[in-house]
Amino acid sequence: MIFHRLKVGFHRLGSPPTFHKLCRVLSPWLWAGFLVCAAIGLYQALYVVPPDYQQGDSYRILFIHVPAAWQAMAGYVIMAILAVIALVWRIRTVEIMTMAAAPVGAAFTALCLATGSLWGKPMWGTWWAWDARLTSMLVLLFIYLGIMGLYAAFEDRRKGARVACILVLVGLVNIPLIHFSVEWWTTLHQGATIRLLGESRMHPSMLPPLVWMTVGVKLMFGAALLDRARNDLIDQDRRKNWIRQLVDEPATGDNA
Amino acid sequence: MIPQLDYAFYVWSSYGLFAVIMAWQFIQPRVRRRRIIAELQEELAMQTGKYDDPDA
Repeated sequence: MIFHRLKVGFHRLGSPPTFHKLCRVLSPWLWAGFLVCAAIGLYQALYVVPPDYQQGDSYRILFIHVPAAWQAMAGYVIMAILAVIALVWRIRTVEIMTMAAAPVGAAFTALCLATGSLWGKPMWGTWWAWDARLTSMLVLLFIYLGIMGLYAAFEDRRKGARVACILVLVGLVNIPLIHFSVEWWTTLHQGATIRLLGESRMHPSMLPPLVWMTVGVKLMFGAALLDRARNDLIDQDRRKNWIRQLVDEPATGDNA
Repeated sequence: MIPQLDYAFYVWSSYGLFAVIMAWQFIQPRVRRRRIIAELQEELAMQTGKYDDPDA
């Protein structure tokens, strides 16, 4: 019974008006959740946790850098799962979501690289090193930009999305490279400090802001993804009746 | 009160960048949606003969 309901719900999401309504309703809640998590996380990161005994206050950059890095990679995995669904079942709303994920993922990758650089200058004495972790993260940014460029190069958006979905799957090979780069090669970048399985090497008092910020950026990724997908859907369906009805409503298109 | 931090330039630059990118992710889609809706409303107005040309 539950499986049947899930299946029906999944199929309903393929309907553009239903998908549009979901984006419109869900996005503000996700943004609100992000604001709450970010407010608590930033307060704890700047006011509550003590300075590191070696790095001083510079380690506070990691409360931005680490969640951004995790989200850049998690965002890519989500995009790849959506790409498989889009290619196999050819659901247009999923194609739109896949393509909407790229700019948000690219923003997190750029934020991760920039904050890593800002941490590296005082701690390593350099803004950049051609280290395996840093280089593979830079490659991730180029892959995200390549996907966005390829999608934009096609006048037929559906054809562009399908070609870009194949590039998404090709680029997936970079994710394990990023993750294991600190184990496979000798890198300037430190190894994993936080472990899901086993003991973390970070002091427990420093974990709460990291958890709040990580949850916050995940909610923000979802919100930005739905906002962008909603725009692409309106843009693609601008000649269709359901969009015209939304725009023509007395609230001067506030529902669109 | 703003905390006094070591390496303040690097820490505040990182937090500032985070704020700018989050704000951009919030604002940019809303600006784009407003533009698309304005275009659509203009098209609809032209089709129904209710278009009020600002240059006329």
